[in-house]
Amino acid sequence: MSHINEIVLYDLIQGIIIEGEYLGSIITKYKDDRKSVIFSDQVKISKDNGLFFEKGLTIGFEILNHKSSAFSRKLDNFTISDLSTIEYCVRIPDDIMFLYDEGQFSDTFPFTINLLHTSGLYLDDYKYGINHFDFFHGEILNNPISLINNGIILADRVVIDDQGDPVFYDCLIVGRDEKENLKVSYEPLTNVDDKAVEFIIILGIEELKI
Amino acid sequence: MLLYENKKAKLLNILKIGINPFKKFVSTGEIKEDLGLVNSRKPTLQHIVQIIKDEDNFILPIIGNVGTGKTHLFWALKNILYYYNTIYISLDTVYKKFFYSTYSEFIDAIGVEPLRFIVNQLCDDWGALDRIYGFFHIADIDKVKKIAIQKLKNQFESDEQATLIDVINGIVTHQLDPFKKIEAEGWLLGELMNVRELSRLKLRYDLRKGKAAYVMLKLLIENSKLGSVLFIDDFERIISILKPKDSDTEEIFDPSWLYGQSQSPEKISSQKLLQKIIKLQSIKRLHLIITLKSDRSLEEIKKSFQELSKDKEIKFIDPIYIENFTEDDIYDFYTNNMKHFLENLGLTKLAKAEFDYFPLNKQFLKTIYSTTNGNPREIIKLLIKVFNEIIFSNDDLRFILEEYEPKKL
Repeated sequence: MSHINEIVLYDLIQGIIIEGEYLGSIITKYKDDRKSVIFSDQVKISKDNGLFFEKGLTIGFEILNHKSSAFSRKLDNFTISDLSTIEYCVRIPDDIMFLYDEGQFSDTFPFTINLLHTSGLYLDDYKYGINHFDFFHGEILNNPISLINNGIILADRVVIDDQGDPVFYDCLIVGRDEKENLKVSYEPLTNVDDKAVEFIIILGIEELKI
Repeated sequence: MLLYENKKAKLLNILKIGINPFKKFVSTGEIKEDLGLVNSRKPTLQHIVQIIKDEDNFILPIIGNVGTGKTHLFWALKNILYYYNTIYISLDTVYKKFFYSTYSEFIDAIGVEPLRFIVNQLCDDWGALDRIYGFFHIADIDKVKKIAIQKLKNQFESDEQATLIDVINGIVTHQLDPFKKIEAEGWLLGELMNVRELSRLKLRYDLRKGKAAYVMLKLLIENSKLGSVLFIDDFERIISILKPKDSDTEEIFDPSWLYGQSQSPEKISSQKLLQKIIKLQSIKRLHLIITLKSDRSLEEIKKSFQELSKDKEIKFIDPIYIENFTEDDIYDFYTNNMKHFLENLGLTKLAKAEFDYFPLNKQFLKTIYSTTNGNPREIIKLLIKVFNEIIFSNDDLRFILEEYEPKKL
């Protein structure tokens, strides 16, 4: 299940920019070292003023006290004027969001773990790498967000399997095909080789309070 | 390669194993029946289906004598109504705890998965799947409950409001509280619960109490993707409750002797039941079919309904009459039943063979028809008897059939 073009609002690589104001489920990926991602339900795009978010949530990694630390921050009336710092901005189609919604709360595993504050589960970095896979092996963690090469996985939950690889459930996937076109899909279950994972952040529920 | 096979002998051998092709002469709502209707009843079935599709909030009476196949009609309807939840209840067995019993039958008919789907959709409608930042669900249980109460309170009467809150709590807990999901599902399925279990779920009662089962039924039926048909068999039971005791019934103490009750307890009981049926009838997308034995009963029931629902008209559709079999029906019924019997044994080739009513014959079936006046139940009873003879007797088939000649029957 994929949709191209109509869901891509901005793509630096393909040179796509569709000016306007958009509502829905929007993912924006920075093109920076921190590998940040912004989630928002509204965005204004223009060539002159860049991207404007009335409300949003940005996640990524930063270096604090010589250590990598995952962060998530609320954004209010936030503008990114320099469009060259953004790799892409996509709006997830409603039919895919419908499937994603259906997967929520439908599991029969009540013992999932919610973290209070946003934390890094895994970061592939030669100097400041993080790997808590062993610690959470076999546990079900809620609200994982992962960067896999150039793709983003936003899932309802993640489990580390016997091979030490993450298995994501109820996932939205944004990525590029072999022609570098952006594509979006929904998968009920995705397992990923840990070697392909750039990072996994577990979003804290404190960030989701209104 | 088999060049010739004596199919009749083979059929007789199969029967001699001891399986009677005619097993049940009383149809029930519990045991599924796959055998279709005889030809003369097919237009009736289509007529009922058309009424269900065209009309809303009605009571459709089906009138027929004992043993004419009213309950069997339920199975024919259930098999043809793919896009409906078709539920059978016998008033004979469920007139006590009517809503709870009907709810149990409804859940039994639809299954757990559709129940989960409907409550999921309800919670979605109440804002349970609201997303923050376009993606993340915020399961604010109290907020969802408040929205639910706001949306539903006008659909229920004032004495049902407390029950409604209980039901909303049950549904929202099931959907949004993963730690109580299993217990809440038990509650939704109608399990009986003790005080400790109920207090953990923050609920006052289980579905057995008061109108909780009615509230659940209304929510589920009105929000189901499928329409619902409630087939209430033995509706005459309501008249037998109403009727005074027979003169030869032993008199026992009646509280009205002391307290001077203006109405008999039986009348109050039957009125309560009628009130409950009137409530069910008001549920959108629910179609009620009742079975009765005579026009007189229908008139009595209509009168009782009218007395109780003065402010609201109860929509009765013209009754549909189920008559005895025609002569052609018995041949049709016999052939179909034998085919069905052989197919169920996995003997599909034999089922396709022409037996010309073997081991019986057309004349024999005609005799049965005239002896029973075409009453399906009586026909089946006789067929069971004959086949038992064929199965268990060592006598020649011709001799067995002779025993059933008209004068001997």
